[in-house]
Amino acid sequence: MSALLDVEGLRVRLPTPTGFATIVDGVDYQVEAAQVFGVAGESGSGKTISMLALLGLLPQGSVVEGRASFDGTDLLRLGKRQLRAVSGREIGMVFQDPMTSLHPMLSVGRQLTEHVRRHLGLGRAAAARRAEELLAQVRIPDPASALHAYPHQFSGGMRQRIAIAIALACGPRLLIADEPTTALDVTVQAGILRLLDRLRHEQELSVILITHDLAVMSSLADRVSIFYAGRVVESGPRPEVLQQPRHPYTRALLDALPHPEAARDTPLVAIKGTPPTPQQIPPGCPYHPRCAYAVDVCPVEDPPLAPVNGRRLACHVDPFR
Amino acid sequence: MTSPALELRDVEVVYERRGSERVRAVAGASLTVERGQIVGLVGESGCGKSSLARAAVGLVRPAGGSVLFEGRTVEPLTRRGRPRDLARLQMVFQNPYSSLNPRRKVGSQLADALDALDLAPRRGRRARVEELLELVGLPAAAAGRFPHQFSGGQRQRIAVARALAADPSVLVLDEPLASLDASAQAQLANLLVDLSRRLSLSLLLISHDLAIVRHVADVVSVMYLGVMVETGPTQPLWSIPLHPYTEALIGAVPKPDGRGELPDALPGEVPDPARPPAACRFHPRCPYAFDRCSREDPLMLEVAPGRNAACWLQTGEDPPAPPATRARRLSLPRVEG
Repeated sequence: MSALLDVEGLRVRLPTPTGFATIVDGVDYQVEAAQVFGVAGESGSGKTISMLALLGLLPQGSVVEGRASFDGTDLLRLGKRQLRAVSGREIGMVFQDPMTSLHPMLSVGRQLTEHVRRHLGLGRAAAARRAEELLAQVRIPDPASALHAYPHQFSGGMRQRIAIAIALACGPRLLIADEPTTALDVTVQAGILRLLDRLRHEQELSVILITHDLAVMSSLADRVSIFYAGRVVESGPRPEVLQQPRHPYTRALLDALPHPEAARDTPLVAIKGTPPTPQQIPPGCPYHPRCAYAVDVCPVEDPPLAPVNGRRLACHVDPFR
Repeated sequence: MTSPALELRDVEVVYERRGSERVRAVAGASLTVERGQIVGLVGESGCGKSSLARAAVGLVRPAGGSVLFEGRTVEPLTRRGRPRDLARLQMVFQNPYSSLNPRRKVGSQLADALDALDLAPRRGRRARVEELLELVGLPAAAAGRFPHQFSGGQRQRIAVARALAADPSVLVLDEPLASLDASAQAQLANLLVDLSRRLSLSLLLISHDLAIVRHVADVVSVMYLGVMVETGPTQPLWSIPLHPYTEALIGAVPKPDGRGELPDALPGEVPDPARPPAACRFHPRCPYAFDRCSREDPLMLEVAPGRNAACWLQTGEDPPAPPATRARRLSLPRVEG
């Protein structure tokens, strides 16, 4: 079976005052139907940019290379109009902060119907019915009156539900959720994660879940990819990668988290140093200056992302094999 | 007997605005931070924890109750300078991008704090600034750089260093970890524990991240809609929560164990603090609520040694069962999103 989304060799370079910066450097991944694909990594690792590139949402002058085949169509080869026709209907996106992604001056109903009228060609009344249906689907209480309300009248969690409803308006097959719960309380986060899980099962929706929180990823994702400095360093099925991480970076990310069973007063293990900026990616393996297991070859040669027992790993040393 | 480092007694914080309702953001909350202790304050957004923090350092005037710092009343900040000994009560804010001045070098921002309190003579200032930077794990060279040249985690450490310049005995930290990556969070959390132990500094750590609070705090207080619902030593509170809200908060924390289990969702939303539910404020969302919960407000009572909870399940008429027995009864049903 071929994947719904098949990304190969994606490279993104963004213009900066000092020349081009390579933000995403050769990324491969596949997303299957009705699957949650988790993308994790620290801020600045290229997670978000690699998604925006698929939707043509990068700043002008950016250079995108590679292939991103969505149901057989290469998104990166489409013209602006064609891309909008595909991405508007088939791919929805949800951002971190629903306060900035929703328009503060337009009613919820207007923001929901705009989409379906444009892409599905529905009339006013039909669009309003569809909007009400969508709000009910994301469990907004009293959807009929919510249509006439404005974003500021809702709590953060409800706003994120509305943003998800808008992303689902045209019945997309893929939802890209970029840190959808980062700005929310744990209790509200749990509700949103459960909502995404339900949508995946009920509507066979594929979800790309971008997050820096491995605990969030662990609760929802089927497969995961760990990003570092614009590359994938480890990817594979969720239980394998999170229970037996093979890359030193994946292991370090997990060790930095407070563990429920850890003894009191054992310090958390922080990763030394900070992630590199796109202008100063170290040669060889980009993680080697922070890696406790680095050997002579690491600063010299960039390890390829190679298959090893059911997962893919980019590490010369592979210390946890 | 020495008085606690920080003591809040029945504090009320009320916001009033013409043309809108009066909001009691903090509706009578008490909290004690003993000397050298790390106290975590947790709760959902809108529960009043930030208002309580601001009242604790005198940034807002409480409408009722009292705030005592080492036994002395904390007077709210006015246009006059605050009394000298209150400078030993300091605050660190959530966002190090807005709490540091972007146009001035780190060293001079730290020196300002020293100057304002005459804490270092002109000649010793530089050495003291370097010492402060070293305390938070930054090189002396950091003094010559601007805030934008640092990562989020480093900036937050600079903000901590600036608070330390006043030689405080109590630090109130309002969501200091919220905007950081896991690794930077781990670094800062370790630093805070280390500072607290080394300088016998008391910390009031406000956070919505329960996992990190569990790791750092000696004692945890749980706040819901302006009132405290449970207080207790961290480990026992975590393994056997006595209040259904504490239990729900803990159940909602996702685990990075790779098992793919969804966290438990708590139904409903935090109600509008301008119109809190009558009696127990949690009863409309509580899976165990019974008729008494909507009639009478439960008091915060000591249920077991050192463990306080405000819940009729714990303090009902029937003879009190040991907390562990009761806790076993509390097993939240899963709620669909």
